[in-house]
Amino acid sequence: MPDRAPAAPAVPAVPSLQPTRDPRVTLDDLLEVVLNKGAVLHLDLIIAVADIPLIGVNVRAAIAGMETMLEYGMLRQWDEATRAWAERSGSRGLELRDGERLITRMFGGHRLTGEVYSGWRPGSVHLTDRRLVVLRREPREVLWEAELAELESAALETERAVGGEDRTRLRLRLRDGGEALLSAAEPERLHRELLEQTPGAKALAAADGGGGGTAGPAGKDGHEGHLWYHEPRRGGAMWRGGRGRLDAGGLSWKSPVDARPALVLAPGDLLGVRLEERDNPAGSPYTLVLDTPGGEVVLAADALPDWTGPLHRMAAGGTGQEDGESPERRRDDGGPHR
Amino acid sequence: MSDTPTGTHPGATTGHSGPEPGEPPRALYVYALLPDPGEALPDTVTGIDGRPLRLVGDGPGGPVALVHATAPAPYQGPDEDVRRWIVEHDRAVDAAWQLTGAVLPMTFNVLVRPEEGRSAEQRLLSWLAERRDELTARLDELAGHAELQVEITLDREAAAVSNERARSLMADMAESSPGVRRLLAKRLEMARREASEQLADTLYADARRRLAAVSEDLQDRRRAVRDPGETDVLSVSLLVRQDGIETVGRVLAEIQDEQPAVRIRFLGPWPPYSFADLGHGPGGAEEAPPGRAVPGLRT
Repeated sequence: MPDRAPAAPAVPAVPSLQPTRDPRVTLDDLLEVVLNKGAVLHLDLIIAVADIPLIGVNVRAAIAGMETMLEYGMLRQWDEATRAWAERSGSRGLELRDGERLITRMFGGHRLTGEVYSGWRPGSVHLTDRRLVVLRREPREVLWEAELAELESAALETERAVGGEDRTRLRLRLRDGGEALLSAAEPERLHRELLEQTPGAKALAAADGGGGGTAGPAGKDGHEGHLWYHEPRRGGAMWRGGRGRLDAGGLSWKSPVDARPALVLAPGDLLGVRLEERDNPAGSPYTLVLDTPGGEVVLAADALPDWTGPLHRMAAGGTGQEDGESPERRRDDGGPHR
Repeated sequence: MSDTPTGTHPGATTGHSGPEPGEPPRALYVYALLPDPGEALPDTVTGIDGRPLRLVGDGPGGPVALVHATAPAPYQGPDEDVRRWIVEHDRAVDAAWQLTGAVLPMTFNVLVRPEEGRSAEQRLLSWLAERRDELTARLDELAGHAELQVEITLDREAAAVSNERARSLMADMAESSPGVRRLLAKRLEMARREASEQLADTLYADARRRLAAVSEDLQDRRRAVRDPGETDVLSVSLLVRQDGIETVGRVLAEIQDEQPAVRIRFLGPWPPYSFADLGHGPGGAEEAPPGRAVPGLRT
């Protein structure tokens, strides 16, 4: 990946393309952008039809986008007002009780264990400050639900999935003796946030000893989960939340609002891995810096060790020793912090 | 949009066949917010259905709203009318943008309504006063910036030119009976799709990185590919300084030059519709990270 400086060469090798505003060519695009984008005044000010502010497509797109972001755990960085708005407006989501707050939600499912039928029923897992609910949207059905007050213990355990790979599941026990097995896009994060909400519940180590296991869908020496990417812009980089995936093919990162992965790094492009003390939106004092032929790639994660180990091994050509636990303490003089 | 049989608005001056004909114009249709230009828009610029435009502001130097007075009801009607209204909406936004170089464009059908003895204008004015600093800052950020749209697709046939499997299928087809040829054509299409998808993933990350390096911001747009023979690579809106448009054009020309299978649509410059969110509730904003942390990867 050669890096291109945006500076203009003295004699451009190829002529520059010119943008067009010709309505005959751009009309459909203009319609789409005016209907789907543009600002909206405060909802209290504007005309509503049947209590829905009249911002049609725009609001629908925003809600759809927010639902996705909730599922990806991106709204953790949002201010309370926006969050509350998103929580209220996800009409297809969980109906919250008065004063109930949605903490997180992600794709997941509930293991139905019946006499006639056993199987995973997919939906989305909603954790609020009062309940844990697995909800299916279409057709709408609460697949499983428990009050947090009823929760006795929560444990992560590893299950060999149908395809032969190991999957981390969440095993829950209730005070009344009930039990449930849930799947989740990010079981470790769900487990952690669930225990934060339920101090009374025990965090049991899993029966198979793989309680903190990172064996996700990426296989034994890979990892997959929420990851922040400091994506470059002309005026400085921006932190964006998304999903990272590390496997034999390299590292990729994709935001739920992008069409394809914005970061694709082949194993051979990873020249070095280090941790630096820089500001980042994750809960970690360290930011992950990767050296690549195209320059630095800057990432942040809530659970750094899950990423540093496999990355170090990838940088060392798959044979290196893991030393991701001992960050190089380098001061970052990268300019003004916010 | 709606199944209302006619495309007139209750506040329109002609053809009163909307829901409540002849309703007094008690609401304000808002086109955009802009810095106070200190002058009126030229009379030649009109709004939707030729309505006269006004600037409403709470004091000199503060942000003002470009509006027309109308009935408190949404514009709805046949698609044809909606299309025309949106073009007229954009024309008004564009005129304001040409005048001041900075606008926060509104989406279609944002109407301020009167409430509890306060007129729409009073409510809008007090909201502008309340958010004055924030709006001024936001308009400063957008000043001198334009939105560009870039669509990169791949011609599947061209993208698979060097694909082994596609080549051997084409060779087989040349010497097959029509029946077998139809079967092989299906396989060829699949092979071309797969080859294009793989190439598209590679191109996306590279093109996005190069465009981001010359843009203040960018946003993915969801777009259906228009041409059934093409694979969508990247569809983005870019926020670019007026003097940076040329640079984006050069990056696109390079991308085109490097990959003959690439097809590029390059649209704009437009007022920054995709970057006009007001940072509360809906607006298509992606996420609000806690500030732009540390500037600058080396790009």
